[in-house]
Amino acid sequence: MSMQRTALWWRRMAVMIIKELKQLYRDPVLLVIIAYFFTADVYLAGSGAKITLYNATFVVIDHDHSAASRELIYAFRPPYFDFQGELADARSAEKLLNNGEILAILDIPNHFQHDLLQGKPVALQLRLDASNMSLATLMSDYSAELVGRYGQNYSLQQLGLSTEHIQTVPIIDDRHRVLYNPNQTDSWFMSISELLTVITMLSMMLPAAAAVREKERGTIEQLMVSPLTPIQILLPKVLAMGLVILFAVAVSLYGIMQPAFHVPIQGSTGLFFAVTALYVFATSGIGLFIASISRNLGQVSMLVLLIIMPIILLSGAWTPPEAMPTGLRYAMYISPLSYFIEMGYGILLKGADLEILWDSLLGLTVLGSIIFSLGIWRFQIQ
Amino acid sequence: MNRKRIWAVAYKEWREILRDRLFFSMAFLLPVLMLMVLGWGISLDVENIPFAVLDQDKSHLSRDFLHRFIDSRYFSYRGDVQKAEQLDTLLAHSDIRFALIIPDKFQEKLLAGQSTAVQSIIDGVFPYRAQVAKGYVSAIINNFNAHSLADFIARTRGISQEQALALINPVHLHPRYLFNQALRSSWSMASGLMMLVLMITPPMLTVLGVVREKENGSIYNIYASTISRGEFILGKLLPYFLISCINILILWSIVIFLFNAPFKGNPLFYFAVSVLYVICTTGIGLLISFLVNTQVAAVMLTMVITFVPAMLYSGLMMPLSSLSDSTQLLAHAFPAMYYLRLTWGSFLKGLGWDALWGNVVALMLYAGLLWIIAYLNFHKRPRQ
Repeated sequence: MSMQRTALWWRRMAVMIIKELKQLYRDPVLLVIIAYFFTADVYLAGSGAKITLYNATFVVIDHDHSAASRELIYAFRPPYFDFQGELADARSAEKLLNNGEILAILDIPNHFQHDLLQGKPVALQLRLDASNMSLATLMSDYSAELVGRYGQNYSLQQLGLSTEHIQTVPIIDDRHRVLYNPNQTDSWFMSISELLTVITMLSMMLPAAAAVREKERGTIEQLMVSPLTPIQILLPKVLAMGLVILFAVAVSLYGIMQPAFHVPIQGSTGLFFAVTALYVFATSGIGLFIASISRNLGQVSMLVLLIIMPIILLSGAWTPPEAMPTGLRYAMYISPLSYFIEMGYGILLKGADLEILWDSLLGLTVLGSIIFSLGIWRFQIQ
Repeated sequence: MNRKRIWAVAYKEWREILRDRLFFSMAFLLPVLMLMVLGWGISLDVENIPFAVLDQDKSHLSRDFLHRFIDSRYFSYRGDVQKAEQLDTLLAHSDIRFALIIPDKFQEKLLAGQSTAVQSIIDGVFPYRAQVAKGYVSAIINNFNAHSLADFIARTRGISQEQALALINPVHLHPRYLFNQALRSSWSMASGLMMLVLMITPPMLTVLGVVREKENGSIYNIYASTISRGEFILGKLLPYFLISCINILILWSIVIFLFNAPFKGNPLFYFAVSVLYVICTTGIGLLISFLVNTQVAAVMLTMVITFVPAMLYSGLMMPLSSLSDSTQLLAHAFPAMYYLRLTWGSFLKGLGWDALWGNVVALMLYAGLLWIIAYLNFHKRPRQ
């Protein structure tokens, strides 16, 4: 008897899942958009963005015109810097800077070489466009290091302590190694981050839209009088959308991120998809909750946008936990994306396994179950 | 064009917006919240980088070296470990982002006038942070080296330590940060985010308003009425456009009073170009709403078209000069870049029409083109 009932339960579920998939299939524009999100959008995010110093344009006002000053200018090399030529007067250089055509002006004073040879300290001035703050920081850090190294080499040569005799001077050689992304390829970070954000948005939006559409059109009444329980109405929506999202993630990972950006998959693929499935489940709970308090899709999309921003902010995607104020750091525990980010980067880039990620997985499971039950419960009492 | 009909449609739309209280409050709340969350959230300041140390020397000098990291506000010390493997685990678990290994004979070699090497291991998952962290590490080590070298030269050449220090560090760079002297991240970010928020919310409101009529079928009332295409579009969008204009003022006040950003330009000029920009972005929404038939699709399409390009291809986060040629083209084909120049020009640089007119013209062309295409794509007799 109970066997039969279970079989019936599952058959009803299967019918409902197929219904949801058909409904999605019949909205070709939406399908195209979902495809766009997981392919072109991820590609755009990964291919354009570089927050590293690259092709920074600058001009030089060289008052010295000596071998030393030319050598210094030569140190500002591509791909980091893009030398736009020398200018005679400060006024025209400043105009270029104002209009955003160049990013910096390097000013080399008179007697630059003369003072260097005499062992006198020399000051160079670098004027930077700081309206874009991250760029200005990177640029001044790089330039300071370049100039410092140039000066040191110059005077060490004067003292007869050239870099070939490095063994015989008491200095520390910095051997740095960057783990997980040795060449600091921005496209790895950006494309993964975009993929995780897209998953968050769609797993919230799609089930919520599917649920509220039934309300808006009145078809929910039909489902209410059918022998289906609320769970049998809601769960298929989540499962159907979850299937679509998992399929799209696979397309994105193997069709875009690997061929175009060579994003490595260091850890277990199975674990990555399992974690993604769990995450989709957790966030769709938020979607169902939103659908239960909204009357139409306008409200749903506004609320999704409203909720998704704090979730992303508290996820550590832009600001890692250590850089957050203490209060916000604790608030991160209620953002499901923070666990997913930790595990997503962990599995893909760091090659982490369950031994390392078990606490994040546990956190996501607990949080996900709470959110999901809340969503279902809220819908049920309507 | 009949002004009475436009007014009638606008009034009907306004009443509809007012009656959906959740939607109405969101129309004002969402932009504000977006600006505040992103303004405080996207911090590119790199501080308190957690790190651990494997000190194989445990000498006076190695402690001295280590304290340069511990005392720096850029790093946050999380303790010593005994084995190199422990560092790997801590890094994999994101407990630390940076590890330092000081070799044995560190002190012995330095005192004997020989060089030695330390190893710094940096978590490279977020390349920008890794790069900045690497810069801090180099700066600390260079500073240590300068002093160590100066001591050495002072001893071997018989000059004073200050002289030696000046001798080995002859060139200094004095950076001057124009337009944002104190390098406040919130100044560039908060003002720049006006571009992002006004890129996303006006089209969002527009598509929801127009596609709702299409999905409900109430648009057939319009098709059957005497109202012309142009009248309908103008009347329909007037309320949403007004909401966005009010939002310009609200956002502007938040950037000035909450984020304390300076405003050096002409407020009237800036308001005028902001209205022009809102006309552009509303036009994007209008175009989307004539292309799709369901609200879900419309909302998603709006997100896709507006968010990523405005975030990544406008110059807000990363400079346009670092883009490749094809993506440069994309950036120029999008209104966000022009408006961002106008925004930073007005807020931080104090520029006006003389320097920025090219961007205004670009926005005008963009707005005109969008509205014409949208108008041509709207038919009162929908083809099947």
